[in-house]
Amino acid sequence: MKQSLSPGARRRRAGYLFCLPGLAFLALFLAYPLLYNVWTSVHDVDLGQLLGGDERFNGAENYRAVLDDPAFWHSVRLSLVFTLGSLLFQFLIGFALALLFARPFPFNGLLRSLLLVAWLLPPVVSGTLFRWLLDAESGAYNALFEAVGLGTLSHDWLTDPSTSMAGVIFANIWVGVPFNMLLLLVGLHTIDPQLHEAAAIDGASAWQRFRHITLPLMRPVAVTVLLLGLVYTFKVFDIVFVMTGGGPVDATRVLSLYVYEVFFTFFRFGQGAAAGLLLLVVPLLAGVFYVRRLRREEEAPAGGAV
Amino acid sequence: MSYPVDRRGFLRTSGAAAAAAALGLGGALTSCSSDTSGPVTLTWWDYFTLDNFQPGMRRLIRDIEAGVPDVKIERRSFPFAELERQITLGAISGDLPDIAIVDNVAMNTLGGSKLLADLTDRAEEWGQADRYYKGPWDGCQVGGKTLGIPNNSNCLALYCNTAMLKSAGVEPPTTWDELASTAQRLTSGDRYGLALSAIKTEEGVFQFLPFLWQAGGDLDTFATYGATALSFLDDLIAKGSLSEQCVGWTQQDVNTRFLNQRAAMQINGPWQIPTLKKADFDWNVVALPRDKAAATCLGGENWVLMANSKHQDKAWEVLEYTQRPSVLVPYLVAFGELPARKDLADQGSWASDPALRLFLSQLPLARPRQYGAHYAEASQAVAEAEQAVLTGTASPSAAAKTAAAKIDKALGEQ
Repeated sequence: MKQSLSPGARRRRAGYLFCLPGLAFLALFLAYPLLYNVWTSVHDVDLGQLLGGDERFNGAENYRAVLDDPAFWHSVRLSLVFTLGSLLFQFLIGFALALLFARPFPFNGLLRSLLLVAWLLPPVVSGTLFRWLLDAESGAYNALFEAVGLGTLSHDWLTDPSTSMAGVIFANIWVGVPFNMLLLLVGLHTIDPQLHEAAAIDGASAWQRFRHITLPLMRPVAVTVLLLGLVYTFKVFDIVFVMTGGGPVDATRVLSLYVYEVFFTFFRFGQGAAAGLLLLVVPLLAGVFYVRRLRREEEAPAGGAV
Repeated sequence: MSYPVDRRGFLRTSGAAAAAAALGLGGALTSCSSDTSGPVTLTWWDYFTLDNFQPGMRRLIRDIEAGVPDVKIERRSFPFAELERQITLGAISGDLPDIAIVDNVAMNTLGGSKLLADLTDRAEEWGQADRYYKGPWDGCQVGGKTLGIPNNSNCLALYCNTAMLKSAGVEPPTTWDELASTAQRLTSGDRYGLALSAIKTEEGVFQFLPFLWQAGGDLDTFATYGATALSFLDDLIAKGSLSEQCVGWTQQDVNTRFLNQRAAMQINGPWQIPTLKKADFDWNVVALPRDKAAATCLGGENWVLMANSKHQDKAWEVLEYTQRPSVLVPYLVAFGELPARKDLADQGSWASDPALRLFLSQLPLARPRQYGAHYAEASQAVAEAEQAVLTGTASPSAAAKTAAAKIDKALGEQ
């Protein structure tokens, strides 16, 4: 029986065994719910049928109903606005802060840790905080405007449909900046300081060094940060739910809130599952793209991105 | 990092896992004492999580365990917004209670499912239907079946700040015209004449529907009467008597405005009375002003039994027991709630407290929201129409028309 397992095969078997908990986890918490969701999305399921067990297969009916719903497309647009608005500012501000924190100055470490608080707070807490800050009557921002004599700028930020999206994005930028900053800072630290020194000796100005050394070398990190940000932001739920609940009217009903409504307010499980899977498309594409990049980077480790 | 974790799937799986764990545990426990003559344990779900409800609830359960033979109650309470969702999740995982106390509006969704036990025969045999107010009792009838028993009822009325009305020289309004003019007279500085909730949830719709009914319409005539009701509210905002921010206010927020004397009148329910009694100013309550009709919206809770419960007989026995005046009156008094039964009108705190009395006198006018399984969609259409008008993004007639189309689609689908 000894010859039946070569050392290589035994190692492989041990490898599979070590994988087992991970695989079991994936199967139980990822594959099963996802497949169940796919199953639900092609059946006519509502509250009554769940108990009776007489769900009827209805093919692409749920998908058609979702795609025909103007509210769905409205939330797709809102999700795009929310994601692009959040990412743009999170990234720019995060990058600027990373450049700032990359150089030593007093209290650098302390300030950096304090900034992280924004990212560590549960979204429910930061959402509640911003709901109060942006409140029309007792909000801090309006009080601030009034105190500095800019009372005309005070506004019902979250109850006015034309500004509520901006208010929610504003809060989300605050939440996302530290995450962007931290990853970009790590990226900045990986740039060999000798490159900057050599360029400085050659007479390159600070702007030239930033433009021709920092920016190109930061590209892989930047793409990673943006892709991760895209995944995080597109499936946002809690902060919007807490701040506006999707309102006023439907001004901030992003895709995840739409799905939630179809599921838990209307109890149309089939349609909700279909919409949920459609919600996955964008993060999934971003995820695939991210993993492929990661693999490419591993294959060409050093300096490949210049 | 990019795991597309699906919320519902996750809930389902974890729910199933929890249920499996509970079943395993339950199995282990029952195998220790498989004696069938032992007490029956009934599981019971409600949403009374606030501290001030606990003594009354504990007392009720003690009463039941003492008064109904061989029964033990195992209670779990959920946050208000979670209970209905928890029951639907339970429908998937099979983890459901025997008894639940649900919001009366949940009869729309739950009534359309096969989750609730049919109590028609038991209720008929019991024969106490005529002791209840019509609205609450009707609200428990779905598709010709009795699916619940009213636990307690409430409705909306108009609270007035007595001193403010007096110093403005106005009487509490009784009609829409009077409401508009009184609210305007009472508006000054940062004080609004009227506060109400127009939030984008059922709470806002609960407050809006009386206006629709008072205008003489209902959900099936929303295009016409919805527009009337919406433009009445729109006018209040245009004149500054009502704050545009009411689109973000819960009824709790509304009450806070009234308590801070930043609103001279408010539309609210009797559950605010305990808080208002601590106010350092005088207030009084009157019926909601009428237009073509007088109407208010029915709130409160119903008892329901679950169809898959193995102990329906015992659960019904418990339910019947809770409706005995000697049990029900102290329980309702402890909760500060009003009875859904006419025959209790002269007992309890509501017999003497003028504010509670006023609310009780409105119960015969209170209409249940009884629109069928897809009411939630109709309700959302109403909430969005109201928000669109009050935030100035749509005219009353346009918003009412858009909403009417959605309402007809939702309610026509039964």
